[in-house]
Amino acid sequence: MKWNLIRTKVIAAMFVSLVLGVVGTVALMQYSFSRNSEALALESVSGAQRLFGILEAREVSKMTSVSDTLALNPQVRDALAAKDRHRLMDLTAPLYSQLDKEGITNWMFHTPEPDMTVFLRLHNPSKFGDHLNRFMDKKAMQTHAIVTGNELAKAGFAVRILRPIFDDHSAVTGYVEFGEELGQFIHAMKKQTGDDYGLLLSKKFMDKQSWADSTAVWKRRNNWDDNPNFVVADKTTGSDSIIQFDGDLSSLPGSGKVLERFQDGDSVFIRGLFPIINAAGETVGAMFVVRDISGFYLKMQKTQAVLISVAVVSLTLGTVLILVLLNSLVFSRLRSIISTATHVVGGGYDSAIKVSSDDEVGQIEMLFEQFRSVFVDVLSHVPELQEKR
Amino acid sequence: MSQLYDARLAIEKKIQTDGLNAADVKGKIGLKSGKLLALITATSPDDPVVLAKLRQAAKEVLNLNL
Repeated sequence: MKWNLIRTKVIAAMFVSLVLGVVGTVALMQYSFSRNSEALALESVSGAQRLFGILEAREVSKMTSVSDTLALNPQVRDALAAKDRHRLMDLTAPLYSQLDKEGITNWMFHTPEPDMTVFLRLHNPSKFGDHLNRFMDKKAMQTHAIVTGNELAKAGFAVRILRPIFDDHSAVTGYVEFGEELGQFIHAMKKQTGDDYGLLLSKKFMDKQSWADSTAVWKRRNNWDDNPNFVVADKTTGSDSIIQFDGDLSSLPGSGKVLERFQDGDSVFIRGLFPIINAAGETVGAMFVVRDISGFYLKMQKTQAVLISVAVVSLTLGTVLILVLLNSLVFSRLRSIISTATHVVGGGYDSAIKVSSDDEVGQIEMLFEQFRSVFVDVLSHVPELQEKR
Repeated sequence: MSQLYDARLAIEKKIQTDGLNAADVKGKIGLKSGKLLALITATSPDDPVVLAKLRQAAKEVLNLNL
C-alpha cells in the first residue's frame, strides 16, 4: 500500500469514517438505552409514589366516612361519654369485624384531653389505658378537628384518621381512630402494576421491643436485625436480595430516588425508592420499588442490533459507492493521464489524451493535451534532436 | 561524448535488447530522474546530480547498473 497516493489516503479516511460511524452508532444506542432505562426507572418510582398517594387518599376518605357515620350514632356517643367500655365494645365489635375485612385493622377510642389515653382497642381489647402521645393526638387535641396522616405506633405503621366525638353541647367526649396498615398497600400496588414493593421503616422512629411485640401479634418473623438502619415492614417478593439499601432514609428526596439497574439471572431489574412521610412531616420510612424491565431490555437490545447492522451496511455501501465514484471519475482518469504523460515524455509523442468530460479532471486532460501539442511542437524545432526524431 | 549521453545509449540498448516499450520505459525513467532522455545529446554537459538520478532511475526501472 503506497501512502503517497491520494487513493490510499482516501480509502484510509473512508475506513476510519466507517469505524467511527459504527462506534458512534453503538455509543449513541448505549446512551439512548441508558437514558431510556433511567426514564423508565424514574417513571417507576414516581408512578409508584402517585399510586401510593391515590390509595392513601382513597383509604383516608373511606375511614373518614366511617368515622362521620359513627360520630352521628347516639348510642356510640353516649357509651363513650359514659366511659362504658363494655357497651362501646358490644356496639362496635360487629362493625369492626366487617371493617377488618376491608383493611381497617386498627380501631381505637381515646378519652378526651387532658389525659387522652387509649380507652378501647377493637383490634386488641385487653389492652387499654396507655398514653400514645403521638403527633396526631396532640394536633387533634389542639384543633378538635379530623387529623389524618401516616403514624408509627406500637402495632406498626398505618395511615390513620383521628376525629373528636362531641356530645349535644359540643363538648369533646373522646376521640375515635381508624387505621390501615401501610404494608397492605404494597400488595394492592403489586396487583395493579406487577412491580415488587417493600415498605422500609427507619429504626430511628421505632422501638426494638415494640417491633418484637407487634411481629408477635401479627405472627411474623422478627426481622429487626436484618438491616442496620431500617426494618422491612412488608414486601411483595420472597427475595430479600433485591431489597437492599445502605443510605439514610431521612436524606431521600421527596420525589424519590433511582438506585440502580441490575441483573438477576436472565432478568433485568431497576430499583428505586421514595420516602414515606408521617403526619408530622418526618421521613419515617420509604417504599422500595423493583421493576422487571427484561422485556424492555430485550427489545432495546434487538433494536440496537438491528440499528448497528443497518448502520454498518449503509456506511459500508456508502463507502464503497464513494470509492467507486472516485475511482471512475478521478483516479482511473488520472492514471490514464499519467500513463499518457509517461509515454509522451518517453518519446511517444503521438499519444494524445482523450478529453472524456468537461469536469475538473476533464479540464486537466484538455490542458495537458494542449501542453503535449506545444511540447511536441517545441521538440520538433530543437536542432540537436532533428536527427533523432 | 558525455557520461550522460553514454547512459542514455546504454538505456536505449537495454530497452532494445529486452524488447520493451521504449516510450513507456523512457517516460518512467524521465519522470523518476527529472531529465527527459530525448533532451540528452552527445553535446550535453555532464551534471553529476542529474547523472546520479539517471543511474538511480535506470536501476529502479530496468534494473540496469550504469
